[in-house]
Amino acid sequence: MTATIDFTLNGKKVAAAVPANRVLADFLRDDWKLTGSKVGCDQAVCGACTVLVDGAPVAACSTFVFEVESAEVVTIEGLPDAGGLASGETLTPVQRGFLEASGFQCGYCTPGMIMLATALLKRHPDPDEKTVREWMSANICRCTGYNAILEAVQRAAAIARAPSER
Amino acid sequence: MDGFAFTRDKVLRRDGVEKVTGVAQFTFDLAFDGMLHAKALRSPHAHARILAVHTELAEALPGVFAVVTGADVKHLKRPCHGVFIWDQPIIAMDKVRCVGDIVAAVAAVDEATALAALELIRVNYEILPPLMSIDAALAPDAPPLFEHPSDGAAPKVGVMATSVKEPQKNVLYDFGYKVGDFDAVAAKAAHVFSDTFTFSAINHFHLEPHVNVARVAGRRIDLWSCNQDPFQIRSDLARLFARPITDFCVHATYIGGGFGGKSYTKWEPLTVLLAMKAGGRPVRFAFSLDETIVTLTKHAARMTLNTAVDANGRLLARRSLILLDGGAYADASAMTAIKSGYRVTGPYRWEAVDTLARAVRTTKVSAGSFRGFGGTQVSYASESQIDMIARRLGIDPYEFRRRNFLAIGEPFQPGDSGMDVDLMAGLDTVAAKIGYHKRPRGTLKGCGLAVGLKDAGGTGNHAHAVVKVNLTGRTIVHAGTTEIGQGAMTAMCGIAAEELKIPLDWVDYGRIDTDHTPLNNGTHVSCGTTVTGTAVYRAVTAARDKIIAFAAEQLGCAPADLVLEPGWSVRKGNMSYPLEPMIQKYYGGCGYEFVGEGGIKVPYDPNAPLNAKNMFWMVSWGAAEVEVDAETGLVTVTKLAIAGEVGKALDVQSCRGQIEGAAIQAYGQTLFEHMAYNGETPANATPMSYRVPLVADLPAQFAGLVLEHEMGPGPYKLKGIGESGMLAVAAAICNAVEDAIGVRVAEIPLTPERVLAAIDAKRAAGPTPAPAA
Repeated sequence: MTATIDFTLNGKKVAAAVPANRVLADFLRDDWKLTGSKVGCDQAVCGACTVLVDGAPVAACSTFVFEVESAEVVTIEGLPDAGGLASGETLTPVQRGFLEASGFQCGYCTPGMIMLATALLKRHPDPDEKTVREWMSANICRCTGYNAILEAVQRAAAIARAPSER
Repeated sequence: MDGFAFTRDKVLRRDGVEKVTGVAQFTFDLAFDGMLHAKALRSPHAHARILAVHTELAEALPGVFAVVTGADVKHLKRPCHGVFIWDQPIIAMDKVRCVGDIVAAVAAVDEATALAALELIRVNYEILPPLMSIDAALAPDAPPLFEHPSDGAAPKVGVMATSVKEPQKNVLYDFGYKVGDFDAVAAKAAHVFSDTFTFSAINHFHLEPHVNVARVAGRRIDLWSCNQDPFQIRSDLARLFARPITDFCVHATYIGGGFGGKSYTKWEPLTVLLAMKAGGRPVRFAFSLDETIVTLTKHAARMTLNTAVDANGRLLARRSLILLDGGAYADASAMTAIKSGYRVTGPYRWEAVDTLARAVRTTKVSAGSFRGFGGTQVSYASESQIDMIARRLGIDPYEFRRRNFLAIGEPFQPGDSGMDVDLMAGLDTVAAKIGYHKRPRGTLKGCGLAVGLKDAGGTGNHAHAVVKVNLTGRTIVHAGTTEIGQGAMTAMCGIAAEELKIPLDWVDYGRIDTDHTPLNNGTHVSCGTTVTGTAVYRAVTAARDKIIAFAAEQLGCAPADLVLEPGWSVRKGNMSYPLEPMIQKYYGGCGYEFVGEGGIKVPYDPNAPLNAKNMFWMVSWGAAEVEVDAETGLVTVTKLAIAGEVGKALDVQSCRGQIEGAAIQAYGQTLFEHMAYNGETPANATPMSYRVPLVADLPAQFAGLVLEHEMGPGPYKLKGIGESGMLAVAAAICNAVEDAIGVRVAEIPLTPERVLAAIDAKRAAGPTPAPAA
């Protein structure tokens, strides 16, 4: 069974005929070649596939495409458009925070972590430590031991608050 | 102050922008036109003889291009692989030896078709008794897992060491090491303590599952693999398929985590075999993470240490029996046995050592490389016992270690290299970090220390590198150390930037394939900065010498009159000469590239115990503060400080990240993480049920500390750091728990049940003297 689903993907209108059992991760990676969203566990445990659906972080591996009907979907590839960038800057504050704090190692969980942190800072522009820890517990990183990721989020918050002071 | 041209405290990693924008390409992301997808049929039995595999229905399913079984590899002269001992077939032939062993594989137009085809395959098994523990495998009446000796040979070792392949039924390998006369020394000792420790198996849980893509084009075969060791894979493919090594080109992309789980050959040959039968279509064989969990584990171990001590609290002698659960196939078990056996004496001075480290075959998931490589197991056992002995003797564990540490320069064992760290300085750092000397007493809080140690850099290792410097100063470094997250690209580019006095972002790391990249044994044993780093250093300095010689010729002076200066120019006296116009003017066209090459080979040395002097000692120190809930047995780690000694740091953040990442893997294993079995079947081999640490699990205070003792063998006195953070965590936490509850739990993970049982047993036994202050 195929249905035509209308939604916005990284700022562009999409009308896609997809089977009812097509999940968003496969749609993004295989059909649209947006391989920034990674598939790790494929069971909504690890968060490597995290994308934003109407600003909320969701696991693309466990979301059917029909579930995003009429929604706004943003992947890591769509971040510069979604992030309200200062002129000349090519990275969002969150990406810059992760880059400067080395909040990544192998990089496989990184797009998901960055999408999660993007959603976090949208809701809590000046988060306290407890809030950051609660939010960032949603995704798994097997490399960093997390300290550098927590620092990256705080650095991102600082950059977003005062981009010129970097 | 730091002596480097670039600011090593604020390094932007060379792989950083690609990774934070999501464009970094992993093997999992590769797609080619016409690409087929492979899936595997896995054994539901731990031990069974394969009587027949019926594949006709699967082969007839529309969309199926290739079906492979053991029948496809039986004609090969050497169908098995492994590290030194070759016992794992490309695909199961006569028997299966663990739940999850692959008996058939299908390549089809998509994964759904491949999975549907697997449903149509029927396998007839003759069930054999499973051997789910070391004891079951070593029982006199246990059935043999292998009826015939395997191919391959025991690794060569040096003085005082023995190395025996398949010494008895169900034993893969024995490593022995003897110095002095343990029995004679123990006979005169004031005390001999015997303790046994149990260490659990864990999975690597790298988030990118195992994945390979193979394509056959005439004689040549391309393989894109997430493997850490492209040249090892190429060698194995050539041997397995009895073809010239140059038939294969192995490509490495970014690797989505490995920690040892992607070192050495896994299922790459099966992917190639499928591609050989797929009529020229590329074949992608991607595991699910569930499948990755049943691919490899860290070695579970049972370790009995008998340690003799004199009346003054000096260590005299140690006899160790280390039993490693190697699982179904050899993989790297023989080398792990060697390394665990050799490292069990820790950073201390001994009169006599007597060690047997044995890798036992069982019908569990194969065990192999895992960050620490045997060093984690024995550091846990040794440092636990050191602490227990100190408490029994009424000596503070800190003081006991101080009395027995090796001095700087003192050989680890006769014939080996000397200690290249200041052991006390490291211990003082972590002790101060958690307030060890001012810790509260008499509550359910406690503090523990530990020192982890392993040899590192490989045994007789070697590497080669090529550096190409463009007329613009832009530079490409070619070396075979893969980027697995450790920051190899940044470190190698950093060495080139330093020697050419150019910005770090002028240097890129060449993409890796075995056709173009200089040979390298692989990305393991924390050898990147020292072995590959030395090769890169020699290559870039060779290129630099050519640049200086060229400029000297252009300027009509001696090379010694010129120095390279920042900004891609040379200086002669007070005059500065930009290089780019000079090179462009002479060469014309699209300019020129100066090419330097360099290499290193650590020589073999039969007078060293492991047949080569160790390159450097990888030491880390752990300090933990815990609280124990006496009603539930729950252990909460309130402070954890892990210090790793890096020689000298090129990128301080990356070094800290390596230490902290490894420490949290070990922390999870110490508290809750393990591979469980329900009978012969893995009980938690799914991402949902296999629990790894999350942010929420972190200790309230957790710090990785980067120590620089500046005695490393690499350029600028660098050492490797990748495995260091694993080594001291488990013992530090276990020692803190004993400090808190006055009784030892000698098995990890420290589940509440185990801790509570220990507390209850102590209560039942009545009051004991308070632990030493």
